[in-house]
Amino acid sequence: MTGVPAAGSAILEVSDLWVGFPSYREQTLHALKGIDLRIEAGEMIGLVGESGSGKTTLARAIMGLVPPPGVIERGRVLFNGRDLSAQSDAARRSVLGRELTMVIPNPRAELNPVLSVGRQISNIAFYHLGVSRQEADRIALDMLRAVHIPDPERRFNAYPHELSGGMAQRVVIAIALVCSPRLVISDDATSGLDVTVQAQVLDLLQTMVREKGAATLFITRDIAITAHFCSRIAIIYAGEVVEIADRRRFFARPGHPYSIMLLAAFSHNPALRARWTRAEEIAGATPSTGCAFASRCVRRQTRCLNEAPSLRPLASGHAVRCHFPVEAQA
Amino acid sequence: MRILRYIGRRILFVIPQLFGIILVSFFLVKLIPGDPAVMMLGPTASAKSLMELRDRMGFTKPLLTQLMHYLHDVVRGDLGTSWQTTQPVTEDLFQRFPATLELISFGLLLAILIGFPLGVAAARLKRGPIRKFADYYGLLAGAMPDFWLALVLIYVFYTTLNWIPAPLGRIDMAVLPPEIITGSMVIDSLIAGDMDALWSSFGHLVLPVLTLGLINAGPILKMTQSTVERTLDSDFVRYADMCGLPRRVVLRQAVRAALPSIITIVSVLYGFLIGGAVLVEIVFSWGGAGQYAVQGVLNADLNPVLGFVVFSAVLSLIIYLLVDLLYFALDPRTRA
Ligand SMILES: Nc1ncnc2c1ncn2[C@@H]1O[C@H](COP(=O)(O)OP(=O)(O)OP(=O)(O)O)[C@@H](O)[C@H]1O
Ligand code: SF4
Ligand SMILES: [Mg+2]
Repeated sequence: MTGVPAAGSAILEVSDLWVGFPSYREQTLHALKGIDLRIEAGEMIGLVGESGSGKTTLARAIMGLVPPPGVIERGRVLFNGRDLSAQSDAARRSVLGRELTMVIPNPRAELNPVLSVGRQISNIAFYHLGVSRQEADRIALDMLRAVHIPDPERRFNAYPHELSGGMAQRVVIAIALVCSPRLVISDDATSGLDVTVQAQVLDLLQTMVREKGAATLFITRDIAITAHFCSRIAIIYAGEVVEIADRRRFFARPGHPYSIMLLAAFSHNPALRARWTRAEEIAGATPSTGCAFASRCVRRQTRCLNEAPSLRPLASGHAVRCHFPVEAQA
Repeated sequence: MRILRYIGRRILFVIPQLFGIILVSFFLVKLIPGDPAVMMLGPTASAKSLMELRDRMGFTKPLLTQLMHYLHDVVRGDLGTSWQTTQPVTEDLFQRFPATLELISFGLLLAILIGFPLGVAAARLKRGPIRKFADYYGLLAGAMPDFWLALVLIYVFYTTLNWIPAPLGRIDMAVLPPEIITGSMVIDSLIAGDMDALWSSFGHLVLPVLTLGLINAGPILKMTQSTVERTLDSDFVRYADMCGLPRRVVLRQAVRAALPSIITIVSVLYGFLIGGAVLVEIVFSWGGAGQYAVQGVLNADLNPVLGFVVFSAVLSLIIYLLVDLLYFALDPRTRA
């Protein structure tokens, strides 16, 4: 638990989590390399990283559903004090969708194409809350209303393909929140939507999660989104958390060269962008011994190639995995 | 409403489809070697009487004229006469088609009862004895000729064990067949409450149905297994798993999503078996439509062959229409 404050009651505790995908031809691909992450009840934390950095793998590992052939190689995940990957299928199913839920990115492909959306929300209530079918349907209708779907009575009977992307995303939010979960994982939830709809859906997600008092792990590739509502930000690179900090602190004083590169990418100042982005990557400059980011890092020095940095506290509630972090900038 | 419009359009299309089928099969049938006149009059007939007969039957006219005549008759429901039975082909076929349909309907029903659950089980359990059994079964059913299996079954259950009546027709000679209502002798006996007829017709039906059922369970099993495997691997099933829906509910949703493919293979098998069950019909002297058509081919009796093609085509078109209606019912996306 390096550099992470231990206050309040943790709903999720990930410690030294390694997940690997064995392969016949090549070496095992380590998608997660010693992740430490703690989420307090009701907290909203943003997890940012580029494609392939291991975000979805982490989400799956938290649910105890590492996709085959992946295996948890080391460490563990405790959700509400329980290790879901060690539980029976039935026990896990009683937690997923009720206490720990998921908002998915591509709902029109992931909702059941032959069931009405009302029915799909109602199913969650029916199987998790032990209510009657009528009661479940009533709850589902209320949820459709709560996520601001226009004409909810009619939309209850609509099929996923009949909804717009934004509307389908609202249905998924309804599914995720109908049982008032303790933790919602939102994985890339709005990446398929255009910007205005994206903002509406994010607003809705934020409001609903607050209302229900759920903690949120907000996974995205877009660091700008997290600026608006996450209380903490974690940056993941190549299966490692490279920086974690409170939102204010993070955006005011980012410490890791990769974080700064991500932030600079959004800046309107081309000089700033150029300064933090290496013109060309150096092939093979990421030896297994050194820093994973070395090949792309503008601050790299000899030490970076020989010695892997560990996640060290920079200030209270702020930890960075870098030998030469950027200290208090002007 | 959409459905009605769709049916209307489909029925409109049926006419050119039927016309095309008749056109192609007419010329194909004319290619069958053998001179009907020689067949009818025997090898000792004089050249003059042969000529006269050919002339009377219109065989001397140009092919196109013959085709026009045939089409002209078909439109009025006249499929010509068979010189072998000396009866109108329509009448012959109406007698024989129910026998074939009874055979292949029960055969496919049994095939579904075997193939579907086995396929679902094999898709769920990626290893283990059930999966192994399903793999071997699919292979074996695909490799085994149906008439051969029929002969083996006859040898075991009739010749050796004598559990089953002689494989000759649909009912014992000594038993009075029931009044025809549905055309299925078993069902008609049941309706009539005639226990003798029921017992006898059931006994005759068991082996041919077992033959067709065991063989055709193979493709149904394979199709079920592969589609259920695919749907179990699909995005919406993964999401349902993440939502913690009970395992049986997720499985049910996966099977439900696989139904259209399974219905497709069943309908294709059904259409195929109308003519494709002929060897089984012959082995059991079933007296079905396929057997009738083959007799026609062997004896250069062309009207039964063409009539059989027309009947099968109409039947297949009806089946495909029913299948489309089932898709409508099953998949809301087709209704949009
Ligand atoms: N089922 C799998 N089999 C093999 N390798 C996998 C599998 N799933 C993920 N990986 C690998 O693990 C690494 C992390 O993948 P992951 O999907 O977690 O990334 P991500 O951060 O979610 O990316 P994205 O932003 O594109 O969704 C990648 O290198 C990927 O190739
Ligand atoms: S350790 Fe070195 S290479 Fe790695 S991020 Fe820090 S400065 Fe860059
Ligand atoms: Mg992902």
